[in-house]
Amino acid sequence: MSESTYRAAVIGLGRMGSTFDDEIRQGGQFFMPYCHAPTYVASPHTDLVAGADPHAEQGAIFADRWGLEDSQIYADYREMLEAERPDFVSMCTTARHRAAIMIDAINAGVKAIWAEKPFTLSLAEADEVIELAARKGVAVAVNCSRRYNVFFTEARRMVEEGELGELLQITAYTQCNLSSNGSHAIDTMRYLVGGDVEWVFGEMESDEKAAGDEDLMGNGYMVFDNGVRGFLRGTATGAAPWEFDLIGTEGRVRSLAQGMETQYYRWVPGGPRGRNLPARAPFPLPTSVPSMGFAIIEDLVHCIDSGEPPRCSDVDGRKALEIAIALRESHRQGGRRVDLPLSDRSQRILSSEIAQDALPARVRRLSRQ
Amino acid sequence: MYRAAVIGLGRMGSTFDDEIQQGGSIFLPYCHAPSYVASPHTELVAGADLHAEQGAIFAKRWGLSEDHIYGDYREMLAAERPDIVSICTTARHRAPMMQDAIEAGVKAIWAEKPLTLSLAEADTVIDLSTRKGVAIAVNCSRRHSPFLTEARRMAQTGELGELLQITAYAECHLSHNGSHAIDTMRYLVDADVEWVFGEMESDEEAAGEEDLKGNGYLAFDNGVRGYIRAMPTGIAPWEFDLIGTEGRVRSLANGTDTQYYRWVPGGLRDEGLPARAPFPLPLSIQGTGLSVIADLVNAIETGSDPRCSAEDGRQALEVAVALRESHRQGGLRVDLPIADRSLRIMSVEIGGDAVPARVRRLQQEPAA
Repeated sequence: MSESTYRAAVIGLGRMGSTFDDEIRQGGQFFMPYCHAPTYVASPHTDLVAGADPHAEQGAIFADRWGLEDSQIYADYREMLEAERPDFVSMCTTARHRAAIMIDAINAGVKAIWAEKPFTLSLAEADEVIELAARKGVAVAVNCSRRYNVFFTEARRMVEEGELGELLQITAYTQCNLSSNGSHAIDTMRYLVGGDVEWVFGEMESDEKAAGDEDLMGNGYMVFDNGVRGFLRGTATGAAPWEFDLIGTEGRVRSLAQGMETQYYRWVPGGPRGRNLPARAPFPLPTSVPSMGFAIIEDLVHCIDSGEPPRCSDVDGRKALEIAIALRESHRQGGRRVDLPLSDRSQRILSSEIAQDALPARVRRLSRQ
Repeated sequence: MYRAAVIGLGRMGSTFDDEIQQGGSIFLPYCHAPSYVASPHTELVAGADLHAEQGAIFAKRWGLSEDHIYGDYREMLAAERPDIVSICTTARHRAPMMQDAIEAGVKAIWAEKPLTLSLAEADTVIDLSTRKGVAIAVNCSRRHSPFLTEARRMAQTGELGELLQITAYAECHLSHNGSHAIDTMRYLVDADVEWVFGEMESDEEAAGEEDLKGNGYLAFDNGVRGYIRAMPTGIAPWEFDLIGTEGRVRSLANGTDTQYYRWVPGGLRDEGLPARAPFPLPLSIQGTGLSVIADLVNAIETGSDPRCSAEDGRQALEVAVALRESHRQGGLRVDLPIADRSLRIMSVEIGGDAVPARVRRLQQEPAA
């Protein structure tokens, strides 16, 4: 591991960039530090050296909360990149500007980017960022953070060591807009399955929504290239909030209640005709539980040192977006199977989080209260 | 007392219950002969089977004299004039036998599943039975499970809130045990399927008429969406998951475990937590077969539809055919009803049916 301490900066000083962790009172889905600024402050690998946001109020709160001087807060992120020469930069603005900001950061010479999700709005934007990052050797991690959550990493380890047998099915009950939090849902399915999606069928919440570019809810069926089949329910899930169910021939892991409970099932002898019974066993935990923010920093530091891709890479971010668009495309085509990759790269989803992004989310929330 | 007879004296007609050592998915008496013998509504008077060996076992097991065992079911219908007749033969001959039984004047039929092989056969049987006022119950027996009937009661009384999703993990051939899986989804959701998307195990299987495994997405007319996985399910054997806005019922492990979830206060952001609560049981649980017979007697006496009617049997077959059709069309949503009534699935249980299943099983067992 590298001995050096990396200079880190945050662009977009709102909720995920700064104060998200203050909202969380209970572990399970998250282990602290989780969001960008508190992670950079606490990590032994990084120093938080600057922040950038066009809204002065957000900059002031950020400086106060994380002990930076006013001179370390910039309204223009380009100025910040120029003046501070950060090694790490976090992209926590509205997704509307993410691609352009990532391109500027790569060209400014950063070593690693920790980007919020969705990665980009359009496939073409994603293609451009990935191509540039590969050319310049910049590691881009997308914050689909379940890849850094101990319960999911442990489930993945069990798969890799064959403890679940041959994988058959991944089911997700995750009420979400397919680009915004759908990024998480789809990425988690891909992560757990360890395969790529070959084709999908999708049904969106309405024909009108499917016809437009706005973010939308929908359900889908996914065929993975390792034989696993996936079912995603992104429409309302009622009493099954954020659940992933990974089923193999020999074992099963279910993450329920927004990740606050994880169940593990194995075969035991018995059953009405002696065909054995699936019994719930204690879920195995590793000897230490890492903070999710720390796990991402460790991963990015490793990428800088080794040139390997992050655990949730820009390519993973593009795939989540591409699957979401394919699900919508399936509906647009009257309920037809759609093969990946998609040829029309101009397709995009205007992630629901960019709505009303002229005002920071923090200010919008305060004005609602 | 109604006079009852069984046509097809093999496993489901006669001795299936002897294989079952544990309750949960079914409660005994379950299959046809033991239910007729035990029910206060019926008297088992006759059996019919082409294979003399099956008849002999049946007569001995259920205490009938040999003159009430027939090689030809038509002769049996004419001689015994049963009120209720069970059709437990291979599905290959189910449709003509049901028609013959209706024409012979039976009051009710208790038919094994699948109801028929083709949609056209199902149409013919349903049309004739409606015209003659004969009640037909299809033995999709989960409709008589105390757990699943209770789950449906909870859905109907609003305890689960608005229904959203039904998921079935049920490894099966779509006509054979798929009859059970699809019917149970329809029963729990209490709605009809408007359209489906399906993927079969292979293009070759989808192109043919043999029974086949597959997965599918079901859009119900009350807004509920369904997912069925009938391809191998590994460690999730026969599971149904009914999800509503306020509650959830999961039937797992071949029906031997039933879970109930409700919202309780708490959670990451005080959005509530789904907590497992004790599953409410009804005040009494009767044998699955006794429940079917009571239901059929009620249908005879009041004209009501059986809980799993011939129409339900046809719908299960039609959904299975539509799932295959979706695959055949290159992966395209298929609307119900299906226009081409000649479509059929050669239910896997008719394979090798020239020899009774009992004999085939004995032949398969390795020599001791």
